[in-house]
Amino acid sequence: MTGTITPVVAEVTAIEASLFVFVVLTALATAFARDVLAAVIVFGAYSLGMAALYTFYRAPDVAMTEAAISAGVTTVLLLLTLAKTTRIDHEAAFEAVNYPAAGAAGLLFVGLAITMVDVPAVGSPDAPVWSNPDVTQWYLAETYAVTGVENTVMAVLAAFRGFDTFGEAVVVFAAGIAALIVLRREVFA
Amino acid sequence: MSDASDADAGGRDADADADTGALADAGSAEPVEPPRRSGRLDSETRQGTPYTESQVIMSTVKVVSPFAFTYGLFVTFHGGGSPGGGFQGGAIMAAVVFMIAFAFGIEATRQWLANTVVVALAVGGTLAFAAIGLIPVALGGAFLQYDLLPLPILDPVKYGMEAVEIVGIAAIVSGVLMGLFFVLARGFNGEDSGPSIGDRDSFTDEDEPDEPDDAESPEPADGVATDGGER
Amino acid sequence: MSVVDASLAGGYAVGDFLLVVAAGFVVLAIGMLYRAVKGPTMQDRVLAVNVLGTNTVVILAILGAALSEPTFLDIALVYALLNFLMAIAISKFTVERGGVL
Repeated sequence: MTGTITPVVAEVTAIEASLFVFVVLTALATAFARDVLAAVIVFGAYSLGMAALYTFYRAPDVAMTEAAISAGVTTVLLLLTLAKTTRIDHEAAFEAVNYPAAGAAGLLFVGLAITMVDVPAVGSPDAPVWSNPDVTQWYLAETYAVTGVENTVMAVLAAFRGFDTFGEAVVVFAAGIAALIVLRREVFA
Repeated sequence: MSDASDADAGGRDADADADTGALADAGSAEPVEPPRRSGRLDSETRQGTPYTESQVIMSTVKVVSPFAFTYGLFVTFHGGGSPGGGFQGGAIMAAVVFMIAFAFGIEATRQWLANTVVVALAVGGTLAFAAIGLIPVALGGAFLQYDLLPLPILDPVKYGMEAVEIVGIAAIVSGVLMGLFFVLARGFNGEDSGPSIGDRDSFTDEDEPDEPDDAESPEPADGVATDGGER
Repeated sequence: MSVVDASLAGGYAVGDFLLVVAAGFVVLAIGMLYRAVKGPTMQDRVLAVNVLGTNTVVILAILGAALSEPTFLDIALVYALLNFLMAIAISKFTVERGGVL
């Protein structure tokens, strides 16, 4: 098994490794921070690392979504929620570890890690999702000719998979209505 | 409800008069309140979350927000040629509204951006997306079949997609995010939480006394109004 | 052939050097993370997350240069504009813990 893992590990560059460390540390700190405000702040830092990671993997649309949503929206909404809830005083800085939950999470992690052996390396030209001539390569080659826009991601979202996007837009709209229903209001005020 | 909001407006007035722009004085200008065990206001005092001016934040937001809003428009309109699109641009534009709300007061911003604007963005976006999708169906094609869109000069595929991104997704996302922001800022406090669903009578009864309050709201409203004029 | 592809010492291109520099900035971010997590007061955390945001803008800009993708600067711009929102939101929240917003 180690034989299959080794070449993948060898390809991790310095920036990837440091970003991984950063992201894992922020995720752990978010999970274990006792003070909720500290957890919200560290979660903002987590999104900074994730955006840089997405950018390094050449997914600028995802990185921009991460930037706009997490830096602009999630932190603010979480802070507003905190402002409306009562705070419990804490002595300790970190949450105590819940061992059954940690065991379950560890088992899930091990189960997922076993499957990682069969996942193609990041950026591998043989990865099925990349080398598929009928889907990915077709989109990359034909998007501009068919739709007239250069951003393939947007073309897939708005044209090729437009019906799915319509469903997502309706879900976002429904989320606003659901918030109104939960808070028992009729107006956004 | 009207009592509470009257006291509320009074408290905000006193607050605004006492500390024009001095963040440090915020605590002393507060109405008398019991000592807080955990650094929080109790639920009654908290209800009309007082607004504190900060000259630094206000003037910086005045400078930054036009650029951020323009950038949100750029991300939305230029989604076809660079990273971005309606979702990201809508989120950035909603974030600009959050920025203005934090600088000039959430209550004042809510009155400036009326509920109708927020609802019109969310509902109008959904309807526009559905309409763009259904027009080709009416003309005998498939859902969102852009090349059947009746656009005379422009390329219907490209501009149909841009219309979906700009009029549809960006409007929905920005409208819903602003709505969530205002709803969360108002909070939930049981029966006193304003008009409730299925309770039409209480809606009209309780909404009327609020209107004069809104009209004579203190200076934060003016600040936002001038800012809106500049922008 | 752009500047990024130009050969530096030892067969490494400028782009590789820029990636190493970006990794160095990430290491600095990990150091700053200590202040964000440990920070005795909330002001420490606000400042730490603000520094982290500025750091991320730099990292994203370097990545855009190193990978020869100028459009990555758009993401750096989003962070530069919205990091300010995060800072003012948290700093106004820390006054009276949401009592004055």
